[in-house]
Amino acid sequence: MKTYESYLSSMHKLGRVTGVIALFIIIAVPALTCWKFGIFPPLGNLMAGLGSLAVVFVPISLIEVMMYTPMAGIGGSYLLYVTGNLTNLRIPALMICMETAEVQSATEEGEIISTITIAASALTSTVIIALGVILLVPLTPVLSDPTLKPAFDNILPALFGALGVAWMGSSTSGFAQWKVAVVPFTLAVIVVMGMGGHAGKLIGILIPGMAAISILFARIMYKKGWIVIEPTLGDR
Amino acid sequence: MENYLDIANSSFLAIMGGMVFVFILLQSALFLRKAWNRGIESGMDKAKLKGAIRQSTIFSIIPSLPILISLIAMAPVLGIYFPWIRLSVVGSAVYELMAADVGAKSMGITGLGGEGYTAAVFANSMWLMSLGIVWGLLMVLFFLKRIQGTISKAKSKDAGWVPVLIAALFAGLLSVFLGDTIAASLLQLLTGSEGDIGLGLPVILVSSGAMGVFGWLITKFKINWLKDFALSFSMIIAMASAVLISL
Repeated sequence: MKTYESYLSSMHKLGRVTGVIALFIIIAVPALTCWKFGIFPPLGNLMAGLGSLAVVFVPISLIEVMMYTPMAGIGGSYLLYVTGNLTNLRIPALMICMETAEVQSATEEGEIISTITIAASALTSTVIIALGVILLVPLTPVLSDPTLKPAFDNILPALFGALGVAWMGSSTSGFAQWKVAVVPFTLAVIVVMGMGGHAGKLIGILIPGMAAISILFARIMYKKGWIVIEPTLGDR
Repeated sequence: MENYLDIANSSFLAIMGGMVFVFILLQSALFLRKAWNRGIESGMDKAKLKGAIRQSTIFSIIPSLPILISLIAMAPVLGIYFPWIRLSVVGSAVYELMAADVGAKSMGITGLGGEGYTAAVFANSMWLMSLGIVWGLLMVLFFLKRIQGTISKAKSKDAGWVPVLIAALFAGLLSVFLGDTIAASLLQLLTGSEGDIGLGLPVILVSSGAMGVFGWLITKFKINWLKDFALSFSMIIAMASAVLISL
């Protein structure tokens, strides 16, 4: 049997090769379209636009990579950054499937379950979006029905409410997970109330901020021995 | 000058879309097979691996629907195929519309699809939507090995801390999404200000309540199949309650 290390290094290879191909395809779509139709936006305007997007999205991406790659592991992370939809789809899928499989990130079983979960989620949403393109005409009146609007406007509260209960009520990490959520949750409510009730666009800053506070308090609780890891779960 | 929508809805872009679609399916399938084989080889329970595929597939259906809604919203201004391509790879509806808008503004046009939104401006939007969000992918390609090395090092130093650290990251994310929704309603309740408290809080209460009931049913009556559906069912119930409240 090959070692886990050799599996990981071949996963890195697969991730990098497919990631580079993905990058090429992402660039090929506008490049080939411009070539085919003979339209070229002036480079100066393009660069100016790219610069103004980069100011916002380079820091956001950096924070996201630091937050989500430890959760998703190696195989999962490569897929995550090609297929997107992190907070609304893949990370929640990861949380719920890891709970059910009773595995943790940064272990061999966790790495495998994470890759499988993110791949299955990517396959599902990619197929659904393609079906949506094919069925666009009949689907449009149904999905844009004003009666259903409140349902889709509230999909994230519906997702995170249920996910919160499933995750906080569990102890897959080897301790009662609600313990690490108490301080960041209380603070998040207070901070957003201070902001007038809505984080809006500042949510991009709030997520890493709360993650940092959450880690700090978890560290204190861990050092004080308030969070006790069951020995069998310490390294699985 | 050609109307940009002729390009946006051309069969050429449809073929591009098909190419991206096939690539994503192939890539995901390759990763799935590799992880599956390793799982079997290292003696993991096959049922556990199958369970993860089933649960992730079932869960992913409902949260994919808003992506379709944004596709419908983008189609009149950007055509069908390019939004399809963009929503299949990195990014999100909010990002795509913002990048497309920056694409128009950096060409001196007031906004999407408006006066002067020519094929060249559309092309500029396409480039910006494609390139504006490749940073995460680039960082992963260059730095993932190093990041994972740091985690393994932390683990060999203090094995107990790593699961706490990762749980803390999850907790931070959950707190912000729940806190953001609850804060608005709570503020209104506390200050007694006029107006609608919004649907956020009731939806969270219904969905967490439903999940609690499902969790109890699963453990009490050992209904294992319900595990895969509990989250989707809770979401549907909560979303239905949002419709009912606003009727």
